[in-house]
Amino acid sequence: MNVNAASGMGQMTQMQIINQLILDENNMAFHPMMGNSYQLNGIGKEVINLLKQYKTKNEILEQLSNEYNISKDELFIDISDFISKLKIYGLYN
Amino acid sequence: MYKVAISGLNNTDNPAPGIPVAKSLKDDCSLIGLSYDTNEPGNYQNMVEKVYLMPYPSLGFDELRNRLEYLKEKENITSIIPNLDAELPLYIKYQNEINNMGIRLCLPSNENFELRNKNRLDKLSQSLNITYPKTYEISSISELEKIIDDENLEFPIMVKGNYYKAYKAENLESAKESFNKISVEWGFPILIQKVVFGEEINLVGVGDGKGELKGAVAIKKLTTTDIGKIWTGITIQNEKLMQIAKNFVKLTSWKGPFELECMVNMQNIYMIEINPRFPAWVYFATDIGINLPKMVVDIMYEKDIEPQLIYPSNKMYVRVVDEFVTDFTDFIKLLSTKEL
Repeated sequence: MNVNAASGMGQMTQMQIINQLILDENNMAFHPMMGNSYQLNGIGKEVINLLKQYKTKNEILEQLSNEYNISKDELFIDISDFISKLKIYGLYN
Repeated sequence: MYKVAISGLNNTDNPAPGIPVAKSLKDDCSLIGLSYDTNEPGNYQNMVEKVYLMPYPSLGFDELRNRLEYLKEKENITSIIPNLDAELPLYIKYQNEINNMGIRLCLPSNENFELRNKNRLDKLSQSLNITYPKTYEISSISELEKIIDDENLEFPIMVKGNYYKAYKAENLESAKESFNKISVEWGFPILIQKVVFGEEINLVGVGDGKGELKGAVAIKKLTTTDIGKIWTGITIQNEKLMQIAKNFVKLTSWKGPFELECMVNMQNIYMIEINPRFPAWVYFATDIGINLPKMVVDIMYEKDIEPQLIYPSNKMYVRVVDEFVTDFTDFIKLLSTKEL
């Protein structure tokens, strides 16, 4: 999971980048290395917190499915889409 | 108390660094303002004890020396922080002569000053292991057309003066227009550069002249004016940028203030420009605990200072419009006597 010298992030891994995100009580995520802020919803914040704990996508689906009593199939598209967006923004690989 | 003269009082929508530097030093130093125009708002802000009009840099060192000799005699200034691009070449070139007048400076060597010229920045960037956008040096419209053809350059491209000014050109006509505009005002060479897409990040720092970065703060501009001047910004903690600043100071033994302008995207971090002076947002650093102008004064007076590279995250800079009323007699006095 090495990242390019990309985004001014040197040898830091993407996993470390997501660990750097500062999440607040208003569901804002702040990236201190780039000065960017992202508005999340509650579930997005929860997914980032789970990624910070090194959970895989399947583990996240499992946990959220149990927590909100929604089928994993139903969750799959939203969670995949959200993780794709994190990748697009260079926050996760 | 040290008596420090400061230039760059043009506190307009294209602000110079003088007033932010004065705000940073007002509690520790006695300040004299050096102005180039009676219309500079900083002349009337009462941030300095007295204001003196200075000869334009284009008049050369003899004029500057005469004025500095007068200031030395009249005010006994002991140091100067020049803050303007246009005057820096003179101060840097003649820094030994100025020192011999009993006036201290904290400036890079002439060699270092030229090293960060835009047409040499590719070599410096290589030494610092940072990417510099592919750049071509030209001196005529025919060369511009040739390079675009030969190198298959795709628009937009950046058209830059070697010292000042840069425009983004979306097509050949606009590139020619920018070429003419810059060359008339600032001369040759003109630089043609591939556009780097990404986000701009900046760092202000001070080198001690012995290879150590004494202080630095990195920011990202959140909003800018139409001419690219910061209006709001935020502190960032970018280790890579801080390391580039440390390497730059170590490699060159840079003395004095500097600003790094870089672009970052998913692929890389690019050097865009190194300014050999404080940016006009330097008070942002002061207000979060890193007083870089004070460091410059301490370096000039050979005081030992501890490096200060740690500052809070998430601090936001907000520029505001201000206004005040003063007596027109002050304007007339400065115009007629060249001092206020």
